[in-house]
Amino acid sequence: MSGRLFQRWLGLSLVAAIVLVAILAPWLAPYDPNMSSGSVLSRPSAANIIGTDQLGRDVFSRLLYGARVSLVIGLAASLVGMVIGVPIGLVSGYVGGKADLAVVQVVDILISLPAIVMALIITAVVGASVTNLILILGILKWPIIARIVRGQVLVLREQAFVEAARSIGCTTTRILARHIAPNIMRVLGAQFAIATSTSIFTAASLSFLGLGLPPPAADWGGMVQSGFDYMFLNPLLTLAPGAAVTLTVLSFYLIGESAK
Amino acid sequence: MNIDRRHMMKATSAFALALSTPWSASAQQETPRSGGTLTVGLVNDNTKTMDPRLSIQLDERQVLFLLYDTLVAVDRNFSLQPDLAKSWKIENDGKRYVFTLQEGVKFQDGTPFDAAAVKWNIESRLDEKVLSSQRAQLLPVIASIEIVSPSVVAFNLNYQYPSLLADLADRAGLMLSPTAAQKFGQDFGRNPVGTGAFVLKQWVQGTNITLARNPDYWRKGEPYLDSVVFRTVPSAVLGLQRVGIGEIDVMANLGPAETKLIDPRTTTAMKLPIGRWYSLQWQVDRAPFNNAKLRSAIAHAIDRNRINQILFDGQGTIADGLTPQGLWYSSPFKPGFEYSPDKARALLKESGWNMSDPITLWAPSEASYNRISQLVGEQIQAIGLKVNLSPVAQSEYYARVVQKSVNFTPSSWASRADPDGLYYFLLHSKGTGNTTGYSNPQVDRLLEQGRSITDQTERAKLYGQVQEIVMQEVPYICLLFGADYVAVSNKVRNWAPSPDSYPRFRRAWKAA
Repeated sequence: MSGRLFQRWLGLSLVAAIVLVAILAPWLAPYDPNMSSGSVLSRPSAANIIGTDQLGRDVFSRLLYGARVSLVIGLAASLVGMVIGVPIGLVSGYVGGKADLAVVQVVDILISLPAIVMALIITAVVGASVTNLILILGILKWPIIARIVRGQVLVLREQAFVEAARSIGCTTTRILARHIAPNIMRVLGAQFAIATSTSIFTAASLSFLGLGLPPPAADWGGMVQSGFDYMFLNPLLTLAPGAAVTLTVLSFYLIGESAK
Repeated sequence: MNIDRRHMMKATSAFALALSTPWSASAQQETPRSGGTLTVGLVNDNTKTMDPRLSIQLDERQVLFLLYDTLVAVDRNFSLQPDLAKSWKIENDGKRYVFTLQEGVKFQDGTPFDAAAVKWNIESRLDEKVLSSQRAQLLPVIASIEIVSPSVVAFNLNYQYPSLLADLADRAGLMLSPTAAQKFGQDFGRNPVGTGAFVLKQWVQGTNITLARNPDYWRKGEPYLDSVVFRTVPSAVLGLQRVGIGEIDVMANLGPAETKLIDPRTTTAMKLPIGRWYSLQWQVDRAPFNNAKLRSAIAHAIDRNRINQILFDGQGTIADGLTPQGLWYSSPFKPGFEYSPDKARALLKESGWNMSDPITLWAPSEASYNRISQLVGEQIQAIGLKVNLSPVAQSEYYARVVQKSVNFTPSSWASRADPDGLYYFLLHSKGTGNTTGYSNPQVDRLLEQGRSITDQTERAKLYGQVQEIVMQEVPYICLLFGADYVAVSNKVRNWAPSPDSYPRFRRAWKAA
């Protein structure tokens, strides 16, 4: 097995496992993730294998449910990014001219803005909810996707098969949809995986900085943050959700890299 | 603050306050050692000025009470003690307070502290141009300040105001040098001159504040320490780690959960004599919480013992009112709303509340507020209400409570030396801190009566009555008195936290 193939399979199986955990969370979790209990900040034990948090909630159960939050936000955000970025990239690359120049300028400006800072500012203004986070992260993703799609289209539109299509009178829409889009699917797939991985990372960072989902949502970034103060009492409170974020981000990234 | 044996015994036996000062017995026998530096951890240094007239930040007061002395001091159970004022008499039916001052006291710039200095201090706070943070509090009360003799000064009041002494034990009573204030003008805030046990040596905002011993302090032989340093730490828990390795001697703002991190070989956890009063508040003059049945239903849905267990490891005290037990104005708690989900559901039905309408509970970001919001949300969901937790940044929280753009939310207050301080402020329909829209003519009358008499037993009764009404009408859901801790290095002797949470270190010393 080549290194790249191994990467892809490792990534895919990890993602499959995480998706499975997210779907099966209600059956896998020993407790209600949002139910407080009298045993606060208990160390790992048979009853609570990772321990309990400041409200006596089972951290293992919260970790499993946290997979749902991360996956939904990550996948939906990159979908939003795709929906905005792909058409803009296609049209800009294919049509060219002044429209293309304008798009390139806007995209370059947006890409130069640091994503986490932008996300922080927007979240602070509009407030954090699952929908808001998906939209914010998606909007931050589209310029990169548009730029990559445009780059691909610039190469493809000079190819003989596109010229052939044009010469027999195909409409622009048809050429973009039937002849160009299928040829960038592989790149798009890779970009989707990478966008998902960075969105999950940004969402976790926002939560860590206190701008994540409102309580009592079980989300990994928030768990890393709230466990921070109790590192010396039970390091798993912060290390376990930290490892979960890392693993998820890594598995999507592996898929993306292997498909490039 | 004086912690001598008499006060200790008074506090532990008569008032049965939970004190944890395991070293105090042996410390009393040790001879104080002079010298050394005491380091205090300060979370997020917010200090902006060292001028007591202008001070607003709580962090500033940590330092101010070392640089300056107050006219009156508070004791561990909030009883009032002499400080710069040796004694006082109340005359003219409670409208005239005559203070006899300590003699021979000098400010740190060598100028004398006398009746003229007191008059200047109060008048300067009343001066519109000074923009003192205490002006609003003093202006309606003070009619005139009269110099009777160099060591006797009289405060003539517009009306009876028994809270005056408590005010003079706080910011308004911190005495600064008139000469220095005139000399430095705007820059006085960076060049503070008081009569206190310590002088300001270096102040690097956001990093450290260094105070040195005042060699000419008027209480001979004090202080014992050569210097006190306030050092900024990112969080109380990280400060606690530094107490363990000897870099910091005193770190406040810790909860019972954090005290589990303490190593008893190096560090002692001391409980504050009076915990903060935690409650839930809402606006009772508008929908939806003008519905008294809805308020009662929610109050009955809250399991305060569970909150105490989870938040304070069971070390807090359930509050059936605003006043903790053990103060002169405390009255025994009448059993309040008991925890009963069945009763809550029944009341909810009677209230006519549409169960599909969500209730918004605002969750401030500060740790204990946030935990309270989550626990309360969980408990009122259990009686079938729909609850939305809406996060609000701690920095915006109180401003939004005042603007009434945050409705149902946790809040907390420190007890005051005089009940008028909190009761009138929060519950009188014209109270400056009335953010609930609560207005009850009977409560107003009781609170006005409480201001007009000086007899403590009579006053305690009045505030007891108000407390009962509050428990019935629930403008606040009284939750509990918290358990707050200060971590102190085992080398520190003769010090314990004060009820107002400002440290006084003039009698503290450090073992070798």
